[in-house]
Amino acid sequence: MLHYYEPEQDYGTPPVESSESVSLSIDGVTLAVPAGTSVMRAAALAGIKVPRLCATDSLEAFGSCRLCLVEIDGRKGYPASCTTPVEDGMAVRTQTPELAKLRRGVMELYISDHPLDCLTCPTNGDCELQDTAGEVGLREVRYGFDGANHLAAEKDQSNPYFTFDPAKCIVCSRCVRACEETQGTFALTIEGRGFDSRVSAGGVDFLDSECVSCGACVSACPTATLTENSIIEQGIPEHSVITTCAYCGVGCGFRAEVKGEQVVRMTPWKAGKANEGHACVKGRFAFGYATHPDRITAPMIREHIDEPWRRVSWDEAVNFAADKFRAIQAKYGRNSIGAISSSRCTNEEVYLVQKLVRAGFGNNNVDTCARVCHSPTGFGLKTTLGESAGTQAFASVEKTDVAIIMGANPTEAHPVFGSRLKQRLRQGARLIVIDPRRIELVNAPHIRADYHLPVNPGANVAVLNAMAHVILTENLHDVEFIESRCEKTPFEEWKAFIADPAQSPEALQQATGVDPVLLREAARLYATAGNGAIYYGLGVTEHSQGSTAVMGIANLAMLTGNLGREGVGVNPMRGQNNVQGSCDMGSFPHELPGYRHVSDAATRALFESAWQVELDPEPGMRIPNMFDAAVDGEFRGLYCQGEDVAQSDPNTQHIEAALGALDCLVVQDIFLNETAKFAHVFLPGASFLEKDGTFINAERRISRVRKVMTPLAGKADWEATIAFARALGCAMDYGHPAEIMDEIARLTPTFEGVSYALLDELGSIQWPCNERAPRGTPTMHVNAFVRGEGYFAVTEYVPTDERANRRFPLLLTTGRILSQYNVGAQTRRTPNSTWHEQDVLEIHHHDAQERGINDGDWVGIQSRVGTTVLRAKISDRVRPGVIYTTFHHPVSGANVVTTDSSDWATNCPEYKVTAVQATRVSEPSAWQARQQQFDQRQRQLLVEATMDA
Amino acid sequence: MTGQQIDHLVTMANQIALNFGEQRNLNEAARRTAEHLQKFWTPAMRQQLAAYAQAGGDGLSPAVSLLLEQQRSHERSIHS
Ligand code: SF4
Ligand code: SF4
Ligand code: SF4
Ligand code: FES
Repeated sequence: MLHYYEPEQDYGTPPVESSESVSLSIDGVTLAVPAGTSVMRAAALAGIKVPRLCATDSLEAFGSCRLCLVEIDGRKGYPASCTTPVEDGMAVRTQTPELAKLRRGVMELYISDHPLDCLTCPTNGDCELQDTAGEVGLREVRYGFDGANHLAAEKDQSNPYFTFDPAKCIVCSRCVRACEETQGTFALTIEGRGFDSRVSAGGVDFLDSECVSCGACVSACPTATLTENSIIEQGIPEHSVITTCAYCGVGCGFRAEVKGEQVVRMTPWKAGKANEGHACVKGRFAFGYATHPDRITAPMIREHIDEPWRRVSWDEAVNFAADKFRAIQAKYGRNSIGAISSSRCTNEEVYLVQKLVRAGFGNNNVDTCARVCHSPTGFGLKTTLGESAGTQAFASVEKTDVAIIMGANPTEAHPVFGSRLKQRLRQGARLIVIDPRRIELVNAPHIRADYHLPVNPGANVAVLNAMAHVILTENLHDVEFIESRCEKTPFEEWKAFIADPAQSPEALQQATGVDPVLLREAARLYATAGNGAIYYGLGVTEHSQGSTAVMGIANLAMLTGNLGREGVGVNPMRGQNNVQGSCDMGSFPHELPGYRHVSDAATRALFESAWQVELDPEPGMRIPNMFDAAVDGEFRGLYCQGEDVAQSDPNTQHIEAALGALDCLVVQDIFLNETAKFAHVFLPGASFLEKDGTFINAERRISRVRKVMTPLAGKADWEATIAFARALGCAMDYGHPAEIMDEIARLTPTFEGVSYALLDELGSIQWPCNERAPRGTPTMHVNAFVRGEGYFAVTEYVPTDERANRRFPLLLTTGRILSQYNVGAQTRRTPNSTWHEQDVLEIHHHDAQERGINDGDWVGIQSRVGTTVLRAKISDRVRPGVIYTTFHHPVSGANVVTTDSSDWATNCPEYKVTAVQATRVSEPSAWQARQQQFDQRQRQLLVEATMDA
Repeated sequence: MTGQQIDHLVTMANQIALNFGEQRNLNEAARRTAEHLQKFWTPAMRQQLAAYAQAGGDGLSPAVSLLLEQQRSHERSIHS
């Protein structure tokens, strides 16, 4: 889908949903539109463009520019078409001599205070002011530039991605409204009145303002006032390709706007159902990493990690790796090798990795990074509801009356969903936040959470149990739903467990740390406010009881009948772009694609006949099992695709020991990441701009990723895996990722109807997509649960071993911030670092004072497994006893401190709770010093890399 | 038998049993833990745990000891 560049069509005002249809005529064209539609939009739908400047279809009409005037039979004057709703039988004229004169007059005023440098203006050819001047036939400007004007106003270039040039501003306030309505940040205002009015970022420059650099104002601006720097530098694009963001699990649709093979702008795609034309700073602006000089573009090998790399051909690299892997298996057995795939890669690519392991390695030792984030979601939702996925579409939030946000921070980690949620909250939906930290939503512009339950880290299950206890014992549960939809015996067993006074908010207060009165009120609100939706994130899953908490969430939803329709549901906020997809694709060691257990003979037979091999019926190793076995010398070869385990997995020193013990580590990545520093074979990866494929976001939406530039290393990741597989003698014959998807569809019932052709037709598809749901499934479990009847699992609260004690009196919890993504390999290589140069330690002033720690001091954080040092930031977002950091920079070593404590059911690491001590220190830790040395040495070995003749 | 792995296996098995309600219903917890290990652990891990139990099983929780004992007697009955 290559399109010559032209801006997306703008209908002037947003669409209106209505079952009532209204008929009217515009310039003699008769048409019917939903009641409530504006005359301007109706005209656009009839193919008629009414000149306009202050209206755009992402924002509510404002009616300030007076350019969109029309004549309506039987009405006096010239109503503004953007603010006038259609009426039955209306006859509208958009072009008359009077209108032309009026519009020219208005336009003349605008242009008299606007520079006439169109030919050299960065948005020449892509400017609504220019277009509109043409549309209204402006030929002269009588006032001249002699009077007062703003032409000398200074530019604001503080934001690394866009420039604000007030000389060109027409004060249409589209930017201000975009920041309010679309983004919900309220960073901009119009200051002053009349001639003096101007756009202001709260009196400071953009960088120092509340602005989160989402780009909504830039997209909304009709002039060159707010323009992307890439456009200023490189000019407007010549074609565009629809693709999907490769950062977070929201999965925003984008138009990659390109010149030749150079992306000059990423514009959020209006028809993208996950984002509907909105984006965040990462997807919108932080794509420069794809062409960063650190990219490694040739395969490399070495016998030992103390040797310089040798750059070699693809053939030599994959043969070298294949020989090593075969030799390891010959000596240490079939199970001594395995692979880890990445949720950043496409479905087609992770599918191939698990196929390579099962069919080529002959074992099930494949795992994926979802192990360390959402594996408890898979376990918990499969157990209770029958499907390892969220139940809703994002748009469902528009019908939500009360939302619970638990262990998630949408405005930072899932910003575009965060904006949608804020819109709904501003309309009056109620909000309950359950989080140890006061996240932004607790108190944001025009939003205030009804309840914030500041749970002790590690006590989620206790809070969920107490809420269920209140709902059940106060008879607020949905008896009819439970009786008709849920399994009886487990419910009775659960009921006896949860009704016990031991589960009351009062009895559990010691554990939860939450005021029982507040907890009771919050539970009542969720049970009685109408449509209740629960959104949760890694603050739920990354605990020793992550799986239990997910089941507790599902229990709450079933208990209150909040499943199976719009506005409700259980919604995991996935971290990385393709976490859902990589799980769907059979990347866990115990299941084949579509979540079917390897012990299931019928499923195995299906794959065995397709792949012509015999498959192992026993589960393989999970990531932590692989590392343990590596340290013990039993696991010796690892193929690691696009995943930086050395930085992202807990207990760094243990991981480093494991990686260092491998005989052959094959890393496939776009950069020499921390893991690659332990590698023997480096296969250069491709960014999402360099390949075709699909991602699946948190709402089960399958979206296309489309190639906009040639892979820098000559192969996309799926091609690299195929080359490696062939070197191992494992046949893989695919000419295009579409063929891989066809195989997935043939072998996986929930994907049966999916094809690239259907994706092109529909834009995106929410699975299940099959005979019963040929166009996909926005809401799951509508009449029955996937498992048949819903299962109430008993969720006993078992406190974590990571408890504060005398030696380690504080609890460390970890999280993310908006501008950085995961281990930061991508975002650190973009100007996003402007906002977050280093990870800092948030500490409450009580704890700081007690330790003599001041803002900006070095603080040593010590757990039972390691020590690292970070700069302190005194903060009241955390409460006494809890400290907080992010993990976006390798040198921070947040994971040097996190332990091997993990979820009981899935081994998802307990990143969210580590018992630590914090002390003021004068220098970085010993690990950090070692890490720096090792890092320098490995960089040197890269510089010394030799080229094979 | 090696250190890293067996330490973790014991911790993990105990944790599973505890979460399956070991303190409320020992037999049921043992049954469900056995099922869980069968479903999610590699045969090698299960064997290591069994061998550890046979060699004394220091630190194994009651439900885990029980399920391993049940498995041993089941095997004995098959072989006899
Ligand atoms: S970039 Fe986004 S947050 Fe910043 S001012 Fe514009 S709309 Fe507001
Ligand atoms: S900056 Fe652009 S969008 Fe904002 S008021 Fe000026 S012209 Fe309108
Ligand atoms: S990072 Fe997430 S929210 Fe931001 S643009 Fe990408 S998919 Fe959308
Ligand atoms: S577009 Fe209608 S008043 Fe500006």
